[in-house]
Amino acid sequence: MLKGHLDMIVLAALSGGPAHGYGVIQEIHRRSGGAFELPEGTIYPALHRLEKNGLLSSRWTIAESGRKRRVYTITRRGRQALANHRAIWQRFADAIGGLFGEKRHARA
Amino acid sequence: MREPSPIDTYIETLERELSFDMELSRRVRTEVEDHLSEAAAARSGPSPEAQRRAIENFGDPRDLARQYIAASLLAQVRRSGAVTVLGLIGIFVMMKARVAWYGFTQWESSQSLKMVSAIGLPIDRYAFMLALIIALIGCLYIGARRVPAEFGLAYSKEIKRCMVLCGAVAGALLVAIFIETVLTAIRLWGAGVSAAALVPTLSLAVEIAIATVLIRHVRATIRRATVAFLASP
Repeated sequence: MLKGHLDMIVLAALSGGPAHGYGVIQEIHRRSGGAFELPEGTIYPALHRLEKNGLLSSRWTIAESGRKRRVYTITRRGRQALANHRAIWQRFADAIGGLFGEKRHARA
Repeated sequence: MREPSPIDTYIETLERELSFDMELSRRVRTEVEDHLSEAAAARSGPSPEAQRRAIENFGDPRDLARQYIAASLLAQVRRSGAVTVLGLIGIFVMMKARVAWYGFTQWESSQSLKMVSAIGLPIDRYAFMLALIIALIGCLYIGARRVPAEFGLAYSKEIKRCMVLCGAVAGALLVAIFIETVLTAIRLWGAGVSAAALVPTLSLAVEIAIATVLIRHVRATIRRATVAFLASP
């Protein structure tokens, strides 16, 4: 299930600001409270794919360690895609919540 | 010679698995090396045990390489599409330059050239137009593709279609250039060695060079794609 939402998770992690692959993983871990345990390597093909689809941009930088590091930034298209994902997710969560008899979220 | 660290061994395997795209392989190597070193250091420093645990969390290099196939194939096909379009433009410019030169120098056509041209020129023109039309369709088709999260059968078919389009353009161009070569050779043969022959000779040489680069590029893409298809899940 997690794999199907990987693009949304990565975009959400990068919505706070640019980060390199390891930083994205740390951010996912932090935001999800450690709930998502996915092989760390999975993040790199996803970053690459999102970049190829124009949802992220990237550039090389030099880390404090002196190693070359690829830093990713969410693009305008990426933010739009994230907003769409979020809306779909919210509708889905509301629907499931309704099925479980929970009170629906008030919509703006 | 020092023994390779677990990270070195992992990176080597990953590079080997990504051999279908050398540029991607270099990029991934740098990124993964940085990631694993940082992850190992965050645990307990660069000890072999910390490196092994970082690798364990990172995942299998073969699985990782397979996840890159979809994006890599589309990038390679897009490059081939761009090279094909640039090649077409280059060949068109050379063809027009040669025709303009014949007009400028008022170059007379021999009887034998007129006879061959009557058959050859329409074929040449149609072959080039066909290449142009297929290239335009191919550009629209390739441009509309998006990299999917999973490398599935439908996507595999799309990529194969893109490669067939590139191959068809290259084939039609080959026909056009072959006829151009024959026609130019007959014209030059009749005119003998002169300074005026330099422009058609050079323009034809450039055309052949462009076509060679284009065909080699398309062939290399097909070869790399075949390797990627074999490695795909």
